[in-house]
Amino acid sequence: MKDKTVQRVIAVFFAIAAVLMVVAIVSVRNVNRAIASSDWVNHTHAVIMEADAIQSSLHAGDGALRAFLLTGDARDKGASREAFGAMSEHFEVARALTKDEPAQAAKFARLQDLLNQRMGFARQAVAARDADDTGTVRNLLAADAGGATMQEIIRLIETLKGEEKVLLTERDKASFLQAQTTRWTVGSGLVINVVLLVGVAWLIWDDIGARRRAAVILAEANATLETRVKERTAELAETVEKLVAENQERRWSAQAMEHQLRYSQLIFNSISDIVMVLSKAGNITRVNPAASRWTGLAASEMISKPFARVMRVSATDGGTLDPVAQAIKDGHELHEHPAVMMAGDGHTHPARLSLFPLRDRDRVVGAVVSIRIVANAA
Amino acid sequence: MFTGPVEWGPRMFGRSTHFPGLWRGLFLMLALFGFLLPAWLPAQTLVELLNDPKMTPKRFANYFEYFEYEFSAEVQPPDVFLARKRGDCDDYACLADLVLTKKGFETRLIQVQLAGMVDHAVCYVTESKAYLDYNNRKVFFTLSHCRPQLREIAQDVADSLDSNWTSAFEFTFSDDTKQIAATVVKTAPPKDDPVPGKKAGPSAQPTGNSVKVGF
Repeated sequence: MKDKTVQRVIAVFFAIAAVLMVVAIVSVRNVNRAIASSDWVNHTHAVIMEADAIQSSLHAGDGALRAFLLTGDARDKGASREAFGAMSEHFEVARALTKDEPAQAAKFARLQDLLNQRMGFARQAVAARDADDTGTVRNLLAADAGGATMQEIIRLIETLKGEEKVLLTERDKASFLQAQTTRWTVGSGLVINVVLLVGVAWLIWDDIGARRRAAVILAEANATLETRVKERTAELAETVEKLVAENQERRWSAQAMEHQLRYSQLIFNSISDIVMVLSKAGNITRVNPAASRWTGLAASEMISKPFARVMRVSATDGGTLDPVAQAIKDGHELHEHPAVMMAGDGHTHPARLSLFPLRDRDRVVGAVVSIRIVANAA
Repeated sequence: MFTGPVEWGPRMFGRSTHFPGLWRGLFLMLALFGFLLPAWLPAQTLVELLNDPKMTPKRFANYFEYFEYEFSAEVQPPDVFLARKRGDCDDYACLADLVLTKKGFETRLIQVQLAGMVDHAVCYVTESKAYLDYNNRKVFFTLSHCRPQLREIAQDVADSLDSNWTSAFEFTFSDDTKQIAATVVKTAPPKDDPVPGKKAGPSAQPTGNSVKVGF
């Protein structure tokens, strides 16, 4: 989760950087275009101003010329020359400004002709006035009455200005649109970046929230685990305590049993008659010391051996069946049954045998045989 | 000694915009040397200027440190300008053209049309690769270095005035009239610009105005 969030945040920051770069590039291009548009607007204003200046200089020069023609004052002549000079200068500038506009260039060519006509008239009039030829001056002025050339010049300049104003409107609109485009670009970039930043903030917030939730869950799990550990520890302690007690009891029980066994063994060994324990199959499983004494055999020589090897028991009532095996099988007792014990050294001893079946839950599992030697045959 | 007042700030360097640290350090160094610079030279007459054997563009500018600005539509005669000690950019530029040309310098009179402002005239001195500007007469660097192209000069002049330019022309001044030799329009492609300098090529030769006054 952490890696994914980091990757996403980095990706979004790269996206923001890319948007910023695009916005910067587009903005710079738009600004350059806006500067170019602004230059064109300034250019058009300059053409209009130069056209106005041509007109005003022409009027000023014409006025000063007429004053000179009336008064003959050299200052008026100078003023006229300067004004016409300024007009000529403005014309050059205006023509240069419109040289790449064919329609305007044609009009300026016509305007040049008209202005030169007007300058021709001025030169003639000044020359006549300088020569004090008032008649020629009068005729020239009379011919110029109504100012047809001047009217045409003014109309032409007004037409030029009108067309330039149309261009001005178009160029100003283009400039405005460029500015709008720049604003739109910057605004869009800003909005996109804000959205991306909000996205980043949301990602970070979401990640922090997930981490907080995970921390809470972990804390809860830790608390639960701790409780369980405590419970288990308590249970284990209780169990250990029980086991210790049980172990103690068992040890005591084992000691009691051992004591009992030892006591039983003492009892068993202290009996002067021969006592043997037989299995259900009739094999000797245990003997007391009296048995070894009478038979002359070690206990180990008798254990697991058939009882018939050391004792011959007379069949009851002249039968052929072994009374011991029969008693074990039938689960009945024998009391004082005549038998002969065969010692290891070959001697025999008449004896009386008693048998008591060993029962475990009503099932005969063996028998205890008690043999009493009646008389010593040796 | 250099004793004249100095306009502190960006205008000291003939620019009204930036005053970077590098230039500030350079200025401090030059200010120390300023005590060794020649004193302001009071201009009296055109003859005195023409007879100054040490005349250079920089020395010429030093004559005008205490001149005042006064706009006039016409160019004043040189002696009137010198006597009144007031005038405008074309008075200064035309006088510089007149004096420095006589001293063997190659000069060009340039007039820049500025958006929303009065036109501004300067005198470009080819040998110095700089122009003389009346606005810079009171600052330390009286010569503004610039490449010789008319477009470059127009842009430099407009930048110095924090303004836009629309067109510029190179002209000669005689008989109280300006004869336009070459014109540059800002919106026109630079490749169409005339070759700089009077002796640079046929397109830059003075052709005179197409509307002749002639009296």
